[in-house]
Amino acid sequence: MSVADKPDETRADEKTLDADAKVDLDAVFEESRIQEVFDQLDHDLVGLKPVKTRIREIAALLLVDHVRRQFDLASDSPTLHMCFTGNPGTGKTTVAERMADILHKLDYIREGHLVSVTRDDLVGRYIGHTAPKTKEVIKRAMGGVLFIDEAYYLYRPENERDYGQESIEILLQVMENNRDDLVVILAGYKDRMDRFFESNPGFRSRIAHHIDFPDYRADELESIGELMMNEENYHFSDDARQAFSEYIERRMRQPHFANARSIRNALDRMRLRQAKRLFEARGSITKSDLITIQADDVRASRVFDEPLDDEAGA
Amino acid sequence: MAQTIQNDKRYEAGVIPYKKMGYWEPDYQPIDTDIIALFRITPQPGVDPEEAAAAVAGESSTATWTVVWTDRLTACEKYRAKAYRVDQVPGNEEQYFAYIAYDIQLFEPGSIANLTASIIGNVFGFKAVKALRLEDMRIPTAYMTTYKGPPTGIVVERERLDKFGRPLLGATTKPKLGLSGRNYGRVVYEALKGGLDFVKDDENINSQPFMHWRDRFLYVMEAVNKATAATGEVKGHYLNVTAATMEEMYERAEFAKELGSCIIMIDLVIGYTAIQSMSNWARKNDMILHLHRAGHSTYTRQKNHGVSFRVISKWMRMAGVDHIHAGTVVGKLEGDPNQIAGFYDVLREPHNEQNLEHGVFFDQDWAGLNKCMPVASGGIHAGQMHQLLHYLGEDTILQFGGGTIGHPDGIQAGATANRVALEAMIMARNEGRDYMAEGPDILQKAAKDCKPLQHALDTWKDITFDYTSTDTPDFVPSTTTSV
Amino acid sequence: MRITQGTFSFLPDLTDEQIKRQVKYCLDNGWAVSLEYTDDPHPRNTYWEMYGQPMFDLRDPAGLMMDLEECRKTYPKHYIRVTAFDSTHQWETPRLSFIVNRPPEEPGFRLKRQEQEGRKVRYTIDSYASDQPEGQRY
Repeated sequence: MSVADKPDETRADEKTLDADAKVDLDAVFEESRIQEVFDQLDHDLVGLKPVKTRIREIAALLLVDHVRRQFDLASDSPTLHMCFTGNPGTGKTTVAERMADILHKLDYIREGHLVSVTRDDLVGRYIGHTAPKTKEVIKRAMGGVLFIDEAYYLYRPENERDYGQESIEILLQVMENNRDDLVVILAGYKDRMDRFFESNPGFRSRIAHHIDFPDYRADELESIGELMMNEENYHFSDDARQAFSEYIERRMRQPHFANARSIRNALDRMRLRQAKRLFEARGSITKSDLITIQADDVRASRVFDEPLDDEAGA
Repeated sequence: MAQTIQNDKRYEAGVIPYKKMGYWEPDYQPIDTDIIALFRITPQPGVDPEEAAAAVAGESSTATWTVVWTDRLTACEKYRAKAYRVDQVPGNEEQYFAYIAYDIQLFEPGSIANLTASIIGNVFGFKAVKALRLEDMRIPTAYMTTYKGPPTGIVVERERLDKFGRPLLGATTKPKLGLSGRNYGRVVYEALKGGLDFVKDDENINSQPFMHWRDRFLYVMEAVNKATAATGEVKGHYLNVTAATMEEMYERAEFAKELGSCIIMIDLVIGYTAIQSMSNWARKNDMILHLHRAGHSTYTRQKNHGVSFRVISKWMRMAGVDHIHAGTVVGKLEGDPNQIAGFYDVLREPHNEQNLEHGVFFDQDWAGLNKCMPVASGGIHAGQMHQLLHYLGEDTILQFGGGTIGHPDGIQAGATANRVALEAMIMARNEGRDYMAEGPDILQKAAKDCKPLQHALDTWKDITFDYTSTDTPDFVPSTTTSV
Repeated sequence: MRITQGTFSFLPDLTDEQIKRQVKYCLDNGWAVSLEYTDDPHPRNTYWEMYGQPMFDLRDPAGLMMDLEECRKTYPKHYIRVTAFDSTHQWETPRLSFIVNRPPEEPGFRLKRQEQEGRKVRYTIDSYASDQPEGQRY
């Protein structure tokens, strides 16, 4: 919550510091308990180095801003509307959720929830439908983060009377006037987002942080797979791990590859095959049988059957 | 372990102990449809507590002092109440809690008179016990649904009055006796215009030589309507229709309706049957029904004998009243905070969980019966607003009689002081402040914009009624005092 | 005269900060908040006009404040109230309702008395303002 919004009593407590006073930044950092979030971020999210760096920068900015206010150094609270670009499955939604948490811990937003929407949630089907729809979404997001996935669909230049434009105008107004009340994050493919900004310069100027989510490398995807497996209480046998590694290399070269999302789907299918295998074998099984994914469970994927350049599902 | 004498011997002429007649069944598991009563028993010296419990079970159901062969013409095992558990009262060697289960078919559906004729009938004069108190009852859903409950209920009352989110405010017109109708209406108008929601007839304001009831009703309704116009708020006055006969009560209630009153009032002394009749009338005529508990202390106050007010509360919610006086904690009348919390829960909650500290011995589901609004009245004033809100909550009516009419600047000022104090406290509570600790500050701050409140605080700042309560829970370590 | 409907009418008019805190209390209780306005404040006028639908699933008062600002702009001299609804079983009713905007001048109500037999009087309460057509009252 920005200081201006705090109840009178709280504001009265925050005394202006003398010009030569000293503030222990470490203590401020500790007090914000932001390290916990960073640790969690490092633990849960593989790779994404540039993203994590940018998050740390934003955190630093907000902490310093907080200290500046203690010295009564006036400046507007910083704009934090963001744009996340990257291919599907690169962690945009997950990072947005964490961002809401971080901004809440740093007192930038009051609630820390994330409202995730697409064009259909914002744009109506007939005249007069769009404004209430967009406003309803905005009202729900107040105090937190509004995440608009594939935001460029709001703009359809081919249709002059498209209601998306109305939604865009309301969003722009709120991003300007209600900066203390919510953070807007737009997300989508980089190229399309760039084209969207070209036609909607208002959006570009209101967005302070453009964060690009790179595709994952093969070894990162492997780690992601392991993490996901462990969360569900599964693990790979050594052979299966090798097979999984080969699987990733093949899958990455195939069309419709969606980074972590493709990995998640692949793992779901492996679990299915494991269950089928156990069931068909009948007889008694052990706990170890139940948690282990074998190489066959991986290699039965069509990814291994088909030539690398063909259309193939996971 | 049941010690009932079997068959042929059981019905031989003569006197056998109740315990051996089938009224003491320690292995009995109450079934869902049983009505359970919990008695506090003080047996005569030398009487075995289990025998005393069995005797209470017997005397409140089928037994008489000697064996009767006509029992054998009935399914008498079913009709016998069964004492199934006897516990010593914590810290008291003389007294015992006896749990007694009654089959549902022992009682007429929807009749408090019938229920009470059994449960608190002859048995309370029974010689084998020195004293007897009905502490609590569990009413099974099957029996509960034979009662209609409060005709209006808290939710609908608030909707009709258009008043939400705060206790309602009332006052009893004072002096109790002697005002003419014209003078009486003056008090009503001043108090309502000043900010109260309701004014109330006192329990013994009926139709005396100094003020006949019709006269009172006419002047009061002039005052109510004038105050409504002056404030834009719905206002009311509990017109007491208590009279010598049902015919007269109906006549007064009809007149109140004709004049457009939203609420009428009755006294507990009119009896359970009359209360249920008036409840039916109120339901039929969209009238809120206020009950003044005149007379209850004769049997609720002493801990060893009588009926706990918790049980009266249950019966009155079943019988169907919308308001009932249930204690203030901080005021001039008897009231231990824990006990009163128990009464309020019984009146207001959709479901009560057992809570021994509050004296609630059984889980009790109210089967959808409306909630009954507890009324706090007697020796309370604006300076206690934080305590009243803390102890009594939001769904209650706070009645400041002396605390309104006795204000040094007049009745309107007294009413305004109470209303401002209340709204300031609600606002602070909603803002998440520790209003119990900051209460006096919150009031002082509110008084800056409201002189009448300042004067009220100055006048009554030291008034408390700090006496030890007599009716206290048995399951707290030490006696609590009124605050 | 000052109409004293609503929970806080005896206190000085609430500031926006105070309104926010009350709305926050409602939202934290899981209640839906809504805005209603009228230029006919008769005590029995239950149905004020709804300014949009009740706001379900709000987390922060800013959403309501945004609408309130608009509503005040559109109806600067109307009565506007915030009402919070509780959908919990056996409540299912407003739990808090307070006025957040009122006209600069409140003319109040006329009390009409129609004398009847036996000293009885039939009372009618009439807003002076409602002598004017809707929209021209304050």
